[in-house]
Formats: sequence, structure tokens, C-alpha cells
Amino acid sequence: MTAAPTPAPQVSASLELPRRWRVPAWGLTLLLAIIAELVYFTLTTRQFAGHGTGMLDLSEQFAPTGVLAMGLAMVILTGNIDLSCGASASLAAVLAGTVLEKGGSPTEAILLAVAVSTVFGLFNGVVVAFVRIDSLLVTLATQFIVTSIATSVAGASPPFGFPGAFTLIGQGAVNDIPIALLVFLVIALAVIVTVNYTGLGRSITLIGYNLRAAEYSGIAIRRTLTMVFTLCGAASGVAGVLLAAYYNSGQPDIGTDLLLPGITAVILGGVDIFGGRGRIGEVVLAVLLLGYLGQGMLIEGDSSLSITMITGLVLVGALVVKFSFERNLRQRLDIRLRRLRTLGGPTRDVHG
Amino acid sequence: MTTKGPAESSSARHELSAAPPWTLLLRRRELLVTAVIIVVVAASTAAHPYFWSSGNIAFIFADSVVIAFLALGESFVMIGRGIDLSVGAIMGLSAIVVGFRIQDHGMTLLPAVLLGAAVGLVLGFGNGLLVGLVRLPPIIATLGTLSVYSGLEFVVTNGNQVDTIPSSITNLGSNTLLPGIPVILLLTLPFVLIAAFVLRHTTFGRSIYAVGDDAEAAYRAGIPVQRTLFYTYLVSGLLSGLGGVAFLIYTSGASSTTGINDNLTAIAAAIIGGTALTGGVGGAFGAFVGSVFLTVTLTAMSFAHVSDVWQPAGVGILVLLAVVYDSRSRSRRPGGYRGQFRRRRQAPPASPPRAAESTDDQAAGRQTWHQPQEGAR
Repeated sequence: MTAAPTPAPQVSASLELPRRWRVPAWGLTLLLAIIAELVYFTLTTRQFAGHGTGMLDLSEQFAPTGVLAMGLAMVILTGNIDLSCGASASLAAVLAGTVLEKGGSPTEAILLAVAVSTVFGLFNGVVVAFVRIDSLLVTLATQFIVTSIATSVAGASPPFGFPGAFTLIGQGAVNDIPIALLVFLVIALAVIVTVNYTGLGRSITLIGYNLRAAEYSGIAIRRTLTMVFTLCGAASGVAGVLLAAYYNSGQPDIGTDLLLPGITAVILGGVDIFGGRGRIGEVVLAVLLLGYLGQGMLIEGDSSLSITMITGLVLVGALVVKFSFERNLRQRLDIRLRRLRTLGGPTRDVHG
Repeated sequence: MTTKGPAESSSARHELSAAPPWTLLLRRRELLVTAVIIVVVAASTAAHPYFWSSGNIAFIFADSVVIAFLALGESFVMIGRGIDLSVGAIMGLSAIVVGFRIQDHGMTLLPAVLLGAAVGLVLGFGNGLLVGLVRLPPIIATLGTLSVYSGLEFVVTNGNQVDTIPSSITNLGSNTLLPGIPVILLLTLPFVLIAAFVLRHTTFGRSIYAVGDDAEAAYRAGIPVQRTLFYTYLVSGLLSGLGGVAFLIYTSGASSTTGINDNLTAIAAAIIGGTALTGGVGGAFGAFVGSVFLTVTLTAMSFAHVSDVWQPAGVGILVLLAVVYDSRSRSRRPGGYRGQFRRRRQAPPASPPRAAESTDDQAAGRQTWHQPQEGAR
């Protein structure tokens, strides 16, 4: 920063340095893909559109994945990862179910479920931030532990058959818009605002971008990391509650299947796995893309495992394209920079 | 530990020769884990005499074989500072492909092993291409192939499952050669020895350590970094494929969900055996001992009447302990956060011209503008 040279204006104009606001090319690509996909499925399968509202109803199924992905996106933005959030969602679902079965009110059930998974998120955060162990290992361990706890709480006969006031969260709709989708969108909006417009969000991005720079600029790294993992825990709790309400049961492995789609959505949404880059809005688009892809294929009669395969292919294909494209771009920038250095020789005396 | 600087490592060598033997025990993870295994076995035998019976010992060895294969492959990848999330899926796919051949076409053992190895190699080739050639971050690439391979498992089985394996093959999993030594263990040990030899005494093996420890230094030392990484995924696929055959021999069946949960267990076994996620550290014996340790502990837990439900928690706590032990023993390394976080980044081989130009004041000044963009990844 200090030695930043100010090259002659006409040179810098030809350089095209990264601008502050760039056209979200990846987001537009995702959006086009979603539109193409929706049109395709509407044309090929009669049940898909369902007079317009059917398409909205389908979103109930993948709203939990979306909520989970929102929490994960923040963790991945810091350059960490949380493998335990699927298990946390299972635990939340089981806990909510158990409270309801014991005669608790839906509010109590939701609060307890979200609180417990938040505590596990807090645990992850504290260990990652203060003991300084790689998050992949910490959450790998907590994933095993939380799975055990969920199985143990669920017992031999997991809870099922909840009161209508609870299942409404997962199955109900307000003006044809599913409540689950609303929950997802509200959380998505909150995360977008947090990441883009608050100090916490800037800290998250900077920690992922360059941890050392974050350290030297006085960002409270430990506090931020703890916060991020705690939020991720809370998000997985909400995802678990949505799952329990949607399936009307609290199986102890109900959330395990959310983890990989969640990570896939975050990565397909353009978030760098090493942190520091990514737009939450694009993650939301990726969630919709993957969700409708899965639902469309289910309606067409494919099995859920071949959907997994297609999802994997989409992920790998998209990333191969994206990576090679970006590498090309960077190389071209590098060549231009080198040319500029030879051009900008005379200005050296001014600053030297 | 190859991660230390020259001065440190020479002093460490000096300490090794002078220090009492137990220091060696703490330094070599596989010895430490072996010692802990002995303690666990002794304690369990004291409580339940049946624990030290040939039947139970044979069970423990046979039960750890499949994870041992996966952990072995995972070690190669993790020493090179990568991660392979798809080993379980490769193992399952190999078990299914080989299983159907054996069940429907009466394939014998040797062709079955070769077929399993071939399936593993092909799938590992896919991982290797994505990481070594396209240079995707390993965690993303293998996450994608995990989805693809586990989907393929379902497509290949088409809803059927392998359940009739002739007893001539499954006997290998149940028979014991000597009391307490199952035949399948003797089929596994050669692979452990070969893997240990490759890692310790071949150029390829040493290159993996060099690349995992510091990819840029390895690049400058003339090691083909990407090619080495490519081969580690190939080896990982090969060993996972063999693990699939071992799975068939041991469990005499396979279905479309085989191996789904074994990815993380394999990583756990490798980590307990002393292989670090940060690369450059680990070994074949560690992976084997780590997987035996997992089985011993889980068996001891069920002997102590802990419900099966808590077995995953046991694995988790063991991983946590191993990792905390690791970070304690390395906490004096300078860098703090940097050591823990930055090392996961796949350091690209830096282009020499930029380094040469850094003496130039102005170029250096301009570099600070772009370093976050290029230097950071």
C-alpha cells in the first residue's frame, strides 16, 4: 500500500485492473442455467409446473439444504469447513421430535433444538479458534460424536407424528409460498446483509482472503471464527427443524444427507474453498439450481442416487470450466502487468 | 519429522541418540499407538478374560483389514497434502463390480484381486486427473467424484446386491492360519510392507513427502509436483480397489451403499496413525496400526457394555485426542494460525521471473498490490 506507484493515467486505463464492482458473471450463468432447467422440466414433465404453484411447492424439499448451505457458506468464506452440520441437523430434528412427543409445545421444541445445535457450533468454533486445530479435523470428530448423540436420543423408536402446528413449518404455505421457502429466503437475506454490509462480514471475508493480513489489521480472529461456527450450528439447527416438520418424523440420520449437497451448493455458488471469495447471492442461486435439478429428475422417475451422480458431475464440470477460465484470466493479467512494468520504467525515479 | 529445518533436525537426531528409549516412543507415532493398543488390550483382558482369546484377536485383525487398505491409500494422498474423500466409494464400487463377477461368473481369487485393483486404478485415475492435471483443490475434486462414484455404485447394482460368494473365497476371511492370525491379515501385510518400502526408500515416496511438506521447495528442487500428486491419487485408488476385494472376502456381500460411511473412518485411522492433514508427515505402518487401534478400541467398548450407538462417538473422541496431541507437540513451531490454516492451501509453483524481479523497488511496490490475488493461492 505504502509504495503504491501511481502510473500515468493512460497506462492504468489500458491495464484493466480488477474493478471494485464486477459483473457477476458466475451468478448470471447460474441464473440462466436455472431458467433453462425450469423451462426444460416444465416442457418434459407435466407435473413439474403444476399451474405455477407446483414449482414453488417443490422448494419445500430443498429448503433445509439451502438453510444449511447459508451457514456453511460463511464458514467456507473464512477458509474453514464444517463437516458436522449435517449431524447437527439430525440432532436438532431428533430433539425437536422428542420434545413434541413428550408433550412440549412447538415453540419449546424449536428453541431447544436450535439451542443445542448452536452449542455444538460454539464448541466447534472454540476448538478451531482457541486450540487452533484445523476445522476439517475438529468437525470430523464432532460429526461422529453428534451422530452418536442423535442416535442415542432417538432410541429404538424415533419420534414421528407431530401436531399440525409444527408440521406447518415444513409443509404449510402462506399465499401459495411455502413457509420453508420463506424461512430459507429470510435467512439467506440475513446472511447476505451480514456478509456484505457488516463489520463481521468484512472480517469473515478478510480472514479467508488473507489470515495474516487480518491478524495484522487487528481483526478479532478468534471471536469472528467462534461466531461463524456458532452461526453455522444455528443454521443447521433450523435446517433440522425444517426437516423434522417436512418429513413429520425425527430419524437420527435425517440430516446426514444434507451435508454433501450443502457443500456442493456452496462451491457451485462460486465460493472459494480456501475462503475469501464468493457471493452469498450466487450460493442461493446454486441451491435453487441443484434443488430444482433434483426435484425435476425425481419427478421424471430417476432415483435419488443417480441424482447424486448427476450433482457430482455438474459440480466437477462447472468447476473445471470455472477454474480453467479464471486461470486464463489471471495469466493474461500477469502478462499485461509485466508489459506495464517495462513500459512504466521512467516513473521509477519519482518514487525511488 | 521432515518438517523441521536443518538445524532443528540435527539437534533432534542428537537427542534421539542420547535420550532414553521412551522419547523414541513419543516421537514415532506408530510405536506410541502400539503402546496404547497394548494398554487397552491389557485393561480389557483384565476385565474380560475372553478379550485375549484367539477368536477375538482374529476378529480384531480381520475387522481392521478393510479400513487398513483405505487408510493406507489415504496416507499416500494426505502425506502429499491432499485429501481423498472418495476412497469409501471406490472401495464399494470395486466390491460390487468384483462381487457380481464372482457371484454370476464364478471368478476365482487371483483374477478378482486383479479386477479390483484395475477398478480402483481407473477411479483413482479420475481423481488424479482432476487434482494433478486440472488442478482443482483436492477436497472439491474428491467431493465431486465421491458423488459420482457412489451414484455409479447404484447404477451398477441396479437395485441388486451381492450375497452369494463361494465359501472358497469367504473362508479366507474366517479361517485362521495360526490361532489369532486370520489368513486375510497375511494377505494384507505384504501391501503394508510394500507401501512402507515405497514411501521410505523410493524416489517417488520421498517426492510425496517433499511435495506435501513444501510444494514450492519441491518444485524448485526439480520434483514434478503435479505428476507426483497425480500418482498419489492413483495409488489411493488402487489400494481402495483392493480394499473392496478384502471387503468381499470379509463380509461375503456388498450392496449399493457399501463404503458410504468408510471415507471419514479411513481418514480418522490415518490421522490416528500419525499422518497429518498438513502434509509431509506420516507412514504406512501408522495407517495400519491406526486402523487396528480403532477396531481394538471399539471392540473394547462393546466388551465394556457400551451401546453400539456410541461407537461413532468413540471414533470422534479418538480423532480429537490424536489431533490435540499433534498440535501440542507442534505448538512451538512459529507461525501459529499460519501453520494451521495456510498450509491447506495448495501452494502453486511460483514463477521464477517474479522472484527475480523482486529486487526491483518499483516492481516490489506494485507486487504488494497483487500479492493477495496471486501469492495467496
